[in-house]
Amino acid sequence: MSRAERELDDEVAAHLAEAIDDYIARGLSPQDARYAALRDFGGVTQVKQVHREMRGCAFMNWLDFKLGARMLVKYPGLTLVGGIAMAFAICVGLVVFQILGLFVHPTLPLPQGDRLVEIRLMDLEVNDEEPQILHDYLHWRQSLRSITDVGAWRNSSLNLIDALGDSRPVAVAEMSVAGFKVSAGVPLMGRVLVEADEQPAAPAVAVIGHEIWRTRFGSDPNVIGRSVKFGNEDVTIVGVMREGYEFPVSHDVWMPLKTALLDQTPRSGPVVVAFGLLATGASMKTAQAELTTVGRQVAAQSPATHQRLEPLVRPFAMMTSPAGDPAGGLILYSVYVFTAALLVLVCGNVGLLLFARAASREADLVVRTALGASRGRIVAQMFAEALVLGGLAAVVGVIAADVALRYWGVGFLEANMGRLPFWFDLNLSPTAFAVAMLLTTAAAVVAGIMPAMKITRRMGDRLKQTTAGSGGLRFGGVWTVVIVAQVAATVIFPAVVYLMQFMRSGIEDFDAGFATEQYLAVQLERDYAVFGENTDAAALERNARLAGTLDELRRQVASQPGVAGVTFIGNVPTTGGPQKIVEMAYDLDLPQAHGAEPPFREATIGAVDPSYFEVLNAPVLAGRGFTAADAASGSRVAIVDQGFVDQILQGRNAVGQQVRFRYPGKAPRPWSAGNAADPPGLGDWYEIVGVVPELGLGAPTRKGRAAGLYIPATPNLFVQIQMMVHVPGGDPMTIAPQVREAAAAVDPSLRLVSLQRVNEVNNDVLWVTSLWVRITVVLSSVALLLSLAGIYAVLSFTVARRTREIGVRVALGASRRRVIAATFRRPLLQVTGGILVGTMIVFTAAILIRNTELAGFENELTLAGMAKIVGYGAIMLGVCMLACLVPTRRALGVEPTTALRTE
Amino acid sequence: MTPDRGDVVYGSLGLLVLKTLDAIGPMHGYRLARRIEQISGNQLVLNQGTLYPALLRLEQMDWVSSKWGQSDTGRRVKIYSLTKAGRKQLTREEAQWQRSAGIIARFFDIAEDTP
Repeated sequence: MSRAERELDDEVAAHLAEAIDDYIARGLSPQDARYAALRDFGGVTQVKQVHREMRGCAFMNWLDFKLGARMLVKYPGLTLVGGIAMAFAICVGLVVFQILGLFVHPTLPLPQGDRLVEIRLMDLEVNDEEPQILHDYLHWRQSLRSITDVGAWRNSSLNLIDALGDSRPVAVAEMSVAGFKVSAGVPLMGRVLVEADEQPAAPAVAVIGHEIWRTRFGSDPNVIGRSVKFGNEDVTIVGVMREGYEFPVSHDVWMPLKTALLDQTPRSGPVVVAFGLLATGASMKTAQAELTTVGRQVAAQSPATHQRLEPLVRPFAMMTSPAGDPAGGLILYSVYVFTAALLVLVCGNVGLLLFARAASREADLVVRTALGASRGRIVAQMFAEALVLGGLAAVVGVIAADVALRYWGVGFLEANMGRLPFWFDLNLSPTAFAVAMLLTTAAAVVAGIMPAMKITRRMGDRLKQTTAGSGGLRFGGVWTVVIVAQVAATVIFPAVVYLMQFMRSGIEDFDAGFATEQYLAVQLERDYAVFGENTDAAALERNARLAGTLDELRRQVASQPGVAGVTFIGNVPTTGGPQKIVEMAYDLDLPQAHGAEPPFREATIGAVDPSYFEVLNAPVLAGRGFTAADAASGSRVAIVDQGFVDQILQGRNAVGQQVRFRYPGKAPRPWSAGNAADPPGLGDWYEIVGVVPELGLGAPTRKGRAAGLYIPATPNLFVQIQMMVHVPGGDPMTIAPQVREAAAAVDPSLRLVSLQRVNEVNNDVLWVTSLWVRITVVLSSVALLLSLAGIYAVLSFTVARRTREIGVRVALGASRRRVIAATFRRPLLQVTGGILVGTMIVFTAAILIRNTELAGFENELTLAGMAKIVGYGAIMLGVCMLACLVPTRRALGVEPTTALRTE
Repeated sequence: MTPDRGDVVYGSLGLLVLKTLDAIGPMHGYRLARRIEQISGNQLVLNQGTLYPALLRLEQMDWVSSKWGQSDTGRRVKIYSLTKAGRKQLTREEAQWQRSAGIIARFFDIAEDTP
């Protein structure tokens, strides 16, 4: 019991005792005296309660929470709408926090994770990273003092061929021994790599990850010492890592980085990533200072290569963060702003609802004020109510966020980034729970305190007004802004859903021009020169060998039953081939001003095997198809598709036309089917020998129709190799095992990176787009529900407040029409304003989007599109007017005398 | 007029307390309640308990101060006294009350010949 409580008890007891004495002195019996004293005093408990309430004005007590809970039950509609809204806001906030957290402040689940850094080399001239840092890495390893255990790794992908002959690619890190040290890598069996393994003459060894050990070796306890084939090489397994070890990023197998074998001249050699540990006492700042000094020294020694290079250090886990580059940073920033705006909007809405409800309790609040409740007391009580609602919402929001992250978060990130780094953990962290609590409190502040402050302003004045018979509460400018924003949101969100749905159906309905479901696309990869030397002569020799391998593979796959044909292309149809600027021979004949640029023409290039059109059963519309001789080097022929004829040739006769590639810009990067000797600047002229229909050379995610230009080449010269297998009768996937077997038999080092039906190659994009559609549908539904509820509550409240005014007007003889007009004017203006703002934002965004890569969207900004938005706006307006209509009707139906008596 | 419980409007109870403390000087709660009843000629019967929230409010407004002391019967009681600010407030409220009462009184004095 508090001191104030004790004192009150004492005081009341003394009061009663004095009264009893008085009555006894006046001749009453002690019992009667006691009864009379108690009667005079009134309810002891009530007096104490009021006293207590008046004392504890500044802070909340549990009674407020109890009252809050009672209010939730009393107003189920508000509880539902407001609760869903807040839960939604908390869920979105948490998901965004958790996912962005992976990029903005990632943490490594390693003992020394906070000291692990990545060392990079920035090319200041092009403002990009210089990937060939092997030379510098060796220098850093020797010279750096503030960063210890400097190591490096190189990504490669190799086919692991197990005892059964099953050959599948695995992610290999050729890594310095230091990698195991900095990541505290402990083997489950055997050993990790040691320095002796890095010696040029050391036998080939590998450490395998737990997952590979389990899936590919059946958790064989005798795996150590076994020799397995990685590509063409026999490698001895010397260790198995513990479960979950995937350092440096998401790797399955570790092999020594034999730097002695690699090219070490500056800015050459393979791409490696360097890492190290901050030394004890060193900070990022001191490490960067030392690196900068070292960088300057190297630049002074080799100005030719290092003049504009600057070494930079950053936390290891930040390598996945886009925050480093300005565009990525902007995206992160805009996501934060968007989320914050959403939260404020949602909470503002809940605030609106609570305000409307509080306003309906105005009389009650006024009485409480009269009884001595202070403003702080009432504000605290409304805050407690919002907090109770927010608490419930937080529970729902946290669960929803957890489910969303579990089921869609990982899929979403993998669809965008491929395999996730080992430190990506989407489980809700303790920090996330703290954020949820923070969000809840913030939501309660916006939804509870803001309306409470507004409603309790000049309560004393209203005390008089209320007794005088007119409601003093008005929605001010802030609420007008909230209503306008709400209505605008209800226009914007459906537009976003429409756009997303449009993109989705664009991808789904994209017509490739041939029976894609009958084709299997197999992505093939050549081995990197992991074990051998990397010289041009060796590359040429390997290329010749690859040509033989691919030929043999084609023969073997084609001989399988059910296979109608096998061909090769650089990019699977419907995934979008490389786009290059071309020039037509007749462009040169056009009269041009001196120095004028020739017309801008962009074609989508398809490097294809000569058999391509035959295997696709594509008719040749004009001229001829490719022959085997066309693939010979030096042959300069091309085939174009109908899109090229229509858009670039503008209907001219294609056959016999001359076309060439143009490579503008300072650093020419010639298109090449693999021949590095292609000259920069202008390419050779190609003669168009035939026309084919459009065969999906573009992509559904690209804007407009592709202008396809096919160049014949043998597949070994392709930058990327996609083998397409035609299986006319049945599912092409059934042939996949035979293709794997054939590939392993022909060349164990040939990696089949992916096997999929051609009609499913865009499934990733489709999945992400569908997810976005789902997200925006949920977002929009909640926003719509909220906005309508909010608008309805506020509009009907404002009209209901004017019941008396309407009664007086009618009593004074105003016509019903005038009364309705006067009542509707303000809500009508607010809703119309909101619709206008929303429509303006939608149109501005549509114009911006039109200029980006969105297939066919330009056709959608037609009258029909506008009519849809206008129609939608009209519906919105109708709903809002309905919200005003009900209370207005009620007000008009009231007898003037009754209206005057009410309130 | 018969005594009627709850007849005291809450707003005026504070004024009555201030005036009583001003006229008679510091006293404890029970004595104060009795005094108010006596001054009204027993026309006014308080729910004596309501006096305590009113006293708390006056204390919070700094118009009244309190300290523990002894009653005539030797009990430990809380003694209330008027503060300087309370006296000022009393003067203000008294003037306002006189004015209001005057206006009301004029209405009751209306005669046919009043212009």
